[in-house]
Amino acid sequence: MSKKLPEFGTINVPHERAVPFGAVTPAPVHVQELFMTSNWRIVRPVIDNEKCTRCLTCYIACPDSCWSYNEEEDVMEWNAGFCKGCQICIKQCPSDALTAVPELDFPDGVVRLEKPF
Amino acid sequence: MAQEKMLTGCSAAAQALKLAEVEVICSYPIRPYTAIMMELSKMVANGELDAEFVHGEGEHAQLSVVLGASACGARAVTGSAGVGVTYAFELYSPVAGGRYPLQMTIADRTLDPPGDFGSEHTDAMSTRDQGWILGWASTPQEVFDNTLMGYRIGEDPRIMLPQMTCQDGYFISHIPDKVKLADLKQVKEFLPPYSAPHPISTTCPVSHGPQIRPDQGAPMDAQRAATFLDLPKVIKEATEDYNRIFGRNYDPFLEKYKLEDAEIAFFIQGAHSNTCRTAVDTLRKQGLKAGMARPRWVRPWPTREIAEALGHVKAVGSIETSTSYGGAMRGGNLIHELRASLYDLDERPLTTSFMAGLGGETIWPEDFEFMAKVLSQMVREKRAQKYVYWIGFEE
Ligand code: SF4
Ligand code: SF4
Repeated sequence: MSKKLPEFGTINVPHERAVPFGAVTPAPVHVQELFMTSNWRIVRPVIDNEKCTRCLTCYIACPDSCWSYNEEEDVMEWNAGFCKGCQICIKQCPSDALTAVPELDFPDGVVRLEKPF
Repeated sequence: MAQEKMLTGCSAAAQALKLAEVEVICSYPIRPYTAIMMELSKMVANGELDAEFVHGEGEHAQLSVVLGASACGARAVTGSAGVGVTYAFELYSPVAGGRYPLQMTIADRTLDPPGDFGSEHTDAMSTRDQGWILGWASTPQEVFDNTLMGYRIGEDPRIMLPQMTCQDGYFISHIPDKVKLADLKQVKEFLPPYSAPHPISTTCPVSHGPQIRPDQGAPMDAQRAATFLDLPKVIKEATEDYNRIFGRNYDPFLEKYKLEDAEIAFFIQGAHSNTCRTAVDTLRKQGLKAGMARPRWVRPWPTREIAEALGHVKAVGSIETSTSYGGAMRGGNLIHELRASLYDLDERPLTTSFMAGLGGETIWPEDFEFMAKVLSQMVREKRAQKYVYWIGFEE
């Protein structure tokens, strides 16, 4: 064997890009900042607070727990980081308070982002 | 003193799992691996082994159960054969990516259709890109030893990866051979208790298996790949410790049989290597300098070891025991990686491949003679005439 064989080298993932070991994260947390997953949304639910009765149906209906009730301000709050735009909440809202609005209509719409958050 | 017993590969696996004190077992029947679970269930029922024995409703469920068990910090085992191995496919990457060092014990079976019970390595070989440690034993003794080594390597805090420890169905799984067992004391010295870095617990809650973003995919892949760079060192350490504690003599990566002065060599994994060794001896008596190299692990692939062990040989024939329809050589898989391992050498052996040991067929001494003839002809003509020979279907 005269020629030196190639090396396997090393793989260095910079600290700021490293993913937690096995993608295990602390729980429970209200919002899991490490893994935002709404980057394929094409519409989002927009609430009309005049029509909304705070019945919390959307809170129960959302498969991603994106709706929560802010007691102090007495409003429903939507979590943009996890909403997939599935529109279940819109269909379930008994008061017609939710509307599907295309992401393209928003300056921070996910379709406009260069990086997914 | 450790006992010596006549055991099938299945019994040998069960005995090693008992000594490893597995805590969670998930079974689903498919022959020929089922005998491993039968023995384990008996051990649990008789109170010889303190483990949860869960009946999965299929192989997908089996893998899911042991994933959960491993995430909670339990040493877990499951297993399968043939289409059972492929039915569980969705889980392989999550188990490896989630870094659960559980073990899957495989007794190979040909994939369907239409339900051939015989041994062939395609079942487990098809999982080779899923991030598991993967390797074949060649005797019931090696099944026993690899089972213990698997956990030690996979559970090493530097590694944390699942292991697939394979044995040929029937040829190993159901034919008894002498197996040196071990004392619990030896096992304790070799295999420390499993300690999960982030176990699911009520006191320190964590979330396993979340969704990650696309921009987190590449770093995660790179982190997993980096672990495979560390793996050979850990395998070497574990094998050396194993040899020392249990009095064995394993090469960590590649069994080298009469290779020093070999002009032709067979490259073969698993049970048929036993016939191959005898064939090498016979060929040598006839004046042909033959040898054999047998990889103990397919993942990680022993690239450098192959280059070092086979570089001087004039012609190497890879005996496939698995299929890769339409692959580069139109035969099996081993030849691709064998050739890749030899490619960077200044002078490299001629190579070809032999499709043999498929569907449960025996590879007979005459078959090795035929292969030796092909390899000798390659040496004489300084070229390979064909990429692949289908044993039993050649003129
Ligand atoms: S659109 Fe779907 S994901 Fe988004 S808030 Fe409504 S129910 Fe939840
Ligand atoms: S379901 Fe409709 S009305 Fe009820 S809280 Fe949600 S948005 Fe408001």
